[in-house]
Amino acid sequence: MSDTSWQPGACAIAGIGTTDFSRNSGRSDLTLATQAVLGALEDSGLDASAIDGIIRCDMDLVRHNDLAEALGIRQLTYWGECGPGGVAPCAMIGQAVAAIMSGQASTVVVFRSLNGRSGRRYGAASATAGQQLAGGNGSYDEFFLPHGLLTAGQMFALMARRHMIEYSSTPEQLGSIAIACRERALANPAAQMYGRPITMSDYLSARMISEPLRLFDYCLETDGAAAVVVTSTERARDSKNGAVLIHAVAQASLPGTQPGMMFPVLMRDSITALSSRAVADLLWSRSRLGPADVDVAQLYDCFTITLLLQLEDYGFAKPGEGGAFAADGGIGLTGQLPCNTSGGHLSEAYIHGMNHVVEGVRQIRGTSTAQVAGAEVSLVTSAPPPASSALILAADR
Amino acid sequence: MSAAPQPDELTPPPLAPVTDDPDTGGFFAAAAAGQVALRYCGDCGALLHLPRAYCYHCGSWNSAYRVVAPRARVYSWTVVEHQIHPAYPVPYTVALVELADEPTARLISFLPGRPDLRAGQELHAWFEPLADGSTLVQWRPVRSERAADQGGELR
Repeated sequence: MSDTSWQPGACAIAGIGTTDFSRNSGRSDLTLATQAVLGALEDSGLDASAIDGIIRCDMDLVRHNDLAEALGIRQLTYWGECGPGGVAPCAMIGQAVAAIMSGQASTVVVFRSLNGRSGRRYGAASATAGQQLAGGNGSYDEFFLPHGLLTAGQMFALMARRHMIEYSSTPEQLGSIAIACRERALANPAAQMYGRPITMSDYLSARMISEPLRLFDYCLETDGAAAVVVTSTERARDSKNGAVLIHAVAQASLPGTQPGMMFPVLMRDSITALSSRAVADLLWSRSRLGPADVDVAQLYDCFTITLLLQLEDYGFAKPGEGGAFAADGGIGLTGQLPCNTSGGHLSEAYIHGMNHVVEGVRQIRGTSTAQVAGAEVSLVTSAPPPASSALILAADR
Repeated sequence: MSAAPQPDELTPPPLAPVTDDPDTGGFFAAAAAGQVALRYCGDCGALLHLPRAYCYHCGSWNSAYRVVAPRARVYSWTVVEHQIHPAYPVPYTVALVELADEPTARLISFLPGRPDLRAGQELHAWFEPLADGSTLVQWRPVRSERAADQGGELR
């Protein structure tokens, strides 16, 4: 594994920004992106003229040149994109680091912007009414969509059912994840679910969407954007709020990853251990840290089961014990691994993993609305299928 | 006053598979002939699933579809209760199955309603003709197969 030349903390995050999170922004994706980036620049104390690189997610409707023009950036020297979809955020940070370390850029904006509720709604997008044919061109959708497997939620429901078959996991364990994220959102006025508590009874009695997944197993739909400014640690130390070190970043696939965008991961040897286990190996190796060193984690939570599987993949719980770990309070604010402290995708907002990066930075700065006292090692993960990425942020001490 | 539309008029046909993709078309050609076939390396015999042209195990470009038994077992399933697409009225069930001959090869099946499934349950293939002339390989429990032989509705 090519982890020997990784330089921990050579680059850092100098600024973070988000828009408000809503169901109907009334603004374009470009306006949302621009506002989030201006927020990150304001937070860093840097001017747009300092930016010479932009990294986007492959599913973003905003292109690098759109954003450069909106911000008045004089000359980009680097741009790139990562994906698919929610796999991107931590890998985007990695790409920013790669651009900086190779001398192709000095200060890079990483962003994600979407009108996920008022615009293009994910979960309906895989199969548009009126479409007649599915598949071809390497998508392999012909093996899935015609049979009625249409959404990510249905795919994760198959994973959840299989986890229940293999390990006797329970709906209440999934519910404990939904409730933990909701409890964090109750402290976060920016969260879409601020002021809306749920109980286990609410969870269990909510309507079934794709059994065994119920309404509160699903993430939110959000209009909004989030952005960070990545630069060398040396430069970041001069920024308004100081440097949050990129201690390690990793993207990794497994043998037998399978082609296509998403559904073919159901063909892999296991559907209860995902590519995040390969990311974990590389991340722990590069960081020279392990699960016990992590103070706080923002685990990608498009669904409750996604978070549960990562507890196991990253080694916080043994295979099959992620549900019990969560249900026993392990992901709570006073648990072994406080998770998704802004509320995550389940209860803060769905910015496709980018709000997790922003919250990971806040934890190191000590500015989260659900702050873990003295947090110095902050894990952030991105979507696990078909390959994945993750990030460890650290205090500059 | 016009007659109320019948349910069939409101429900469009299911999505049809692309059947002429150079990597995957052979699967659908076999399905149209009433067979379940998987792609294998012609030199080392490795299973190439999902179907693709190149065998990285031995470096061969020589591959062919081989018919396997139309039997499978339930690996996982989900009962879809929230409707996504007009062609797929709820409730229905999506099953992930592993083939009896090739347990590492999985396929997806549509099942109507909320069938009583369990992990490892034996399934048999049936071949669903679609309006566009393509054919889907679907799977059902043996007892549903008997019901279908007696004129039961499948979809």
